Amino acid sequence: MDIKNILISVDASDNAMRAVDYAASILANAEGVRVTLLYIERAPNRDKFDDEAAWLNQCKLDHDRVFDFLKTARQKLVAAGLPEASVHERTVLCSAEPSIAQTILDVQQAEGFGTLVVGRRGLTKGEEFLFGSVSSKLVHNAKNCAVWVVQ
Amino acid sequence: MPESVRELVERFKPPVSVRTYGTVFTDTTEFMNIGYGDVIKLGGRYYLVLGDERERRFGMEDPKFWVKRCVEMESGQYRILKLEFQESFDQHIGSLTITCHRSAAKEARILRLVAGDMRFMQGLGVRDERGNLARVLERVAGRRLDLNIEDLHQSHREYFQETFPGILQRFIGACRAIHHLHQHGETHGDIRRDHLYVDHKTGEYCWIDFDYGYDSVENPFGLDLFGLGNILSFITGKGVHTIQDVDAEALGITEADCALFFRHRVVNLRKLFPYIPADLNNVLMHYSAQSEVFYESVPELLADLEPCLENLRRA
Repeated sequence: MDIKNILISVDASDNAMRAVDYAASILANAEGVRVTLLYIERAPNRDKFDDEAAWLNQCKLDHDRVFDFLKTARQKLVAAGLPEASVHERTVLCSAEPSIAQTILDVQQAEGFGTLVVGRRGLTKGEEFLFGSVSSKLVHNAKNCAVWVVQ
Repeated sequence: MPESVRELVERFKPPVSVRTYGTVFTDTTEFMNIGYGDVIKLGGRYYLVLGDERERRFGMEDPKFWVKRCVEMESGQYRILKLEFQESFDQHIGSLTITCHRSAAKEARILRLVAGDMRFMQGLGVRDERGNLARVLERVAGRRLDLNIEDLHQSHREYFQETFPGILQRFIGACRAIHHLHQHGETHGDIRRDHLYVDHKTGEYCWIDFDYGYDSVENPFGLDLFGLGNILSFITGKGVHTIQDVDAEALGITEADCALFFRHRVVNLRKLFPYIPADLNNVLMHYSAQSEVFYESVPELLADLEPCLENLRRA
């Protein structure tokens, strides 16, 4: 695993942008790093929408939000001094199984990322029980890589 | 009302005074307007409406205007019609607020999945002429598990030693039923003790009401596992025991012995009933305020719970 091969997992949230900001500040003067912004896409639950059109509209809104997020994140990393060519974006589709955390780890393992960066929402114990925490699962299950958890 | 439907109403109307000939509804969108004596036509069958279903909890009754008690007039069988009512609302679990949605499509999908599986209520989804997805449900020939347990005239010790092992065995079967849903990417969504029935004939447990859904989360089965824990605590304790009901100081009971989400509800039941084995109590403690480890799947829960049953049987 190459520690300079860095995977930043994002979800278009403020927490994820804090992780990008942190990585940009740490990596500003680093040489030879390669950063991949990874978005795990999970379609909104179809059951909560009245019809197909409403669901597709939400899918498009989510997609546009992530597109804007990735664009902003790239700009921040490049503005911090990373070469354009060293910043990449990637989207991976994920259903309920495997989990988002497992999908991130699968990408990390398959492509030899030595550093994994993720934002943290700061869930309460109860929220973590009911909803699960991606960052907690990454910390517990990541192998052969450093995990930066940004609060 | 057409003559043919009148004849059916005459045959199957209940033996009480009714507004005999109501309206025949083929579009159930305005379900509030459908009442006693009306007839709903669904999938080529006619259902005489006897009234709205009511939810009975904590001694209160809430009418569910979208759920109609009916007689299917072709067969004379009692049916429950759940009419499509898509809504989102906030559900409160302790101090947590969760946005929940009611989905006819989800329930109809699960009904297809569990057709013939008597661990679940039976029925099917049928669209009305407007495209609304109603669910035609068979009445579960049984009674709520929690009411059965509350009616037992036994001390807790007698209950725990004589009756509880059989209940736990069937509860484990009910947990496996929930795992069956999870294996197919579904959740029950509203696991509560009043949604688990005991079949009058077989004594087996049967889950009802699967129309609640939630946004996708990292731990998709967390809410179901939470519900199973609440029921396990109820059946082990032969009811709910609050910190106010017991001499907490004498028993050394603190908030850490109570449920994670309901800080007044004691889950460290071994402090109340010392004959509850430690292994079973440890399962309950996964749901306590002091727990740092939670069950994420039914097999994880059962890996701890099944040996408890074996130990109870041996004791």
